[in-house]
Amino acid sequence: MKPVVETVNLKKTYMLGRVPVHALRGVNLKVYPGDFIAVLGPSGSGKSTLLNLIGALDKPTEGEVIIDGIDISTLNEDQLAELRRKIGFVFQFFNLIPRLSALENVELPLAIAGVVKSERRKRAMELLKIVGLEDRMKHKPTELSGGEQQRVAIARALVNNPRYLLMDEPTGNIDSKTAAEIMKLVKKLNEEEGVTIILVTHNQFVANQAKRVVHIVDGVLREENT
Amino acid sequence: MKLTDAFSYAFGAIRLRKLRAALTTLGVVIGIAAVVALLSLGQGFQDAITVQLQRGFAVDTLIVTPRSEMGMGTTEQSGFYLLVNDTEQIINNVPEVKTVVAVIQRAGYIKAGNISEMVTIVGVNFTEYMKIYSTFSAEMGKIPLNPSNDTVILGARVADPWENNTLICGINDSVELLWTVRENHIPVNVSYTFYVAAILEEIGGFGFGGPSDRSVYIPISTAVDLFGDKCNQIIVQLKDSKEETINTASEKIRELFGDQVSVISSTAILNTVETVFSTVKIFLAGIAGISLLVAGIGIMNIMIVSVMERTREIGILKALGAKNRTIMLIFISEAVLIGLIGSTLGIGFGILMARVFSRFGFAGFGGRPGMEATGTTAMTIVPVLTPITLIGALAFGILVSVLFGLYPAWRAAKLKPVEALRYE
Repeated sequence: MKPVVETVNLKKTYMLGRVPVHALRGVNLKVYPGDFIAVLGPSGSGKSTLLNLIGALDKPTEGEVIIDGIDISTLNEDQLAELRRKIGFVFQFFNLIPRLSALENVELPLAIAGVVKSERRKRAMELLKIVGLEDRMKHKPTELSGGEQQRVAIARALVNNPRYLLMDEPTGNIDSKTAAEIMKLVKKLNEEEGVTIILVTHNQFVANQAKRVVHIVDGVLREENT
Repeated sequence: MKLTDAFSYAFGAIRLRKLRAALTTLGVVIGIAAVVALLSLGQGFQDAITVQLQRGFAVDTLIVTPRSEMGMGTTEQSGFYLLVNDTEQIINNVPEVKTVVAVIQRAGYIKAGNISEMVTIVGVNFTEYMKIYSTFSAEMGKIPLNPSNDTVILGARVADPWENNTLICGINDSVELLWTVRENHIPVNVSYTFYVAAILEEIGGFGFGGPSDRSVYIPISTAVDLFGDKCNQIIVQLKDSKEETINTASEKIRELFGDQVSVISSTAILNTVETVFSTVKIFLAGIAGISLLVAGIGIMNIMIVSVMERTREIGILKALGAKNRTIMLIFISEAVLIGLIGSTLGIGFGILMARVFSRFGFAGFGGRPGMEATGTTAMTIVPVLTPITLIGALAFGILVSVLFGLYPAWRAAKLKPVEALRYE
């Protein structure tokens, strides 16, 4: 089976003033369809950098990120933008657009892709139903709880039928009870809908929900149970 | 992203910050209002002047004057005079000509009872003059076709100098005309008695060549007897007012008098006046345009702030697959909306402003100083808004907004997704 995303000797170096910071020092990772991988590591370990790179939000200093068989360093900005439409993002701070309703937020990626209104509305409603928010569709993010906001964000990430879902500390900003519910939903999405998930966290409990856990320390990966 | 979606997204963003958007739009409103007001007033002014000129003009006429006269001075030095009989030459040699009238003019006074007024005494052939100028028609009395030597016709303002229908004399009353002649370099006043045959309708206008409200008219034969047969101008009416006819006839008349006359076409003067006014109008609009420039800078300023505030939002849009041009489109849509709303309101306010100005600002223009302006004599300026001005103002308002929105939009589009998402 071909991996949906693969990194080969991935390195990323930032300049912090004049001091080079080696965030990633050669990461090799293969993610296959149906995988649910948790990348576990403390803050500053390079896990967000890794997520940005496999989300095609950033380009590597060295090495390769291969998404669906394409090395992203060969793509221009427009091609990267189109590639991102095949990737679902879920952020720690939800990153919903405050002035848009839950439904409109979920519709947004489809609107950006140029899908007609009637079609994207139908699709967005389906997704909100899957995440259990069919009765909160008209609400603005400020009228929703943290858990509900994150469900909207998950619905938004899935609306484009992405190849894989990237989650950056998805429960980092919600209480533990709600976090457990969110993780239940994420597990269900992976098991029942077959969504490929890559999740980045520093929380052992959250990581334990995944099928496979990799540790990241000082920009290098270490498998837990191979 | 589809255009309609970009616009509705932009509209949502504008609605979120109502006061800010309103203030930004206000700049455009003021700028466009100024442009529209000045343009429509300018157009109204031009139209008013043109109408005034046309009243005193006949488009198919040429005015022939001795070259050195320049329309005002005397012909003493040049030694060339136009004579009343020269009309024969013109009518016999220029086939394009329909009617010819010689005009003898002289400054003088009219005296009726104890009232004395300064007037221009004009000697013309009444019958021919009437054929050329429709404004030469009687309000009271009748213009005689075979006038006796002591017949005089008064201009409306001569008969009614106070503009209140109190006439200085009636029909068939006698009046005295006075003027000064020099005998051995000593000025001597001469006066003759005339009988009023008619009072002309009010003409308004400037009466270039044609009848005027402040002139009195006597038969040409009388004028020759009193002032001699040198005439100030010969008015030529052509068979039509085509440019070609005007040019050919002008050239032939000039040749006829050995290039010692100047031939002025009324149409040419009208055209010149219109050209001058168009220039003035553009100049006025240009001044108003400066306020639009200020509005544009305001838009740019606000949009740059807005882009900074919404950096994170731009990051989200990019993470969701928005291309640079989509971001650009969203921000330019905002500028277009501001321009559209501002211009529309601006046109409304501009029309209003023009109305107010034309009522209070220019009332009394054309009236005599110290006299109350009445509707009939004051030049009333009605602001004229042509569809071109309207569409132009709208397009210009939007164009300015977009132009100044380009840079902020470009800055938004160029943001790096990772950095934009990290922005607090």
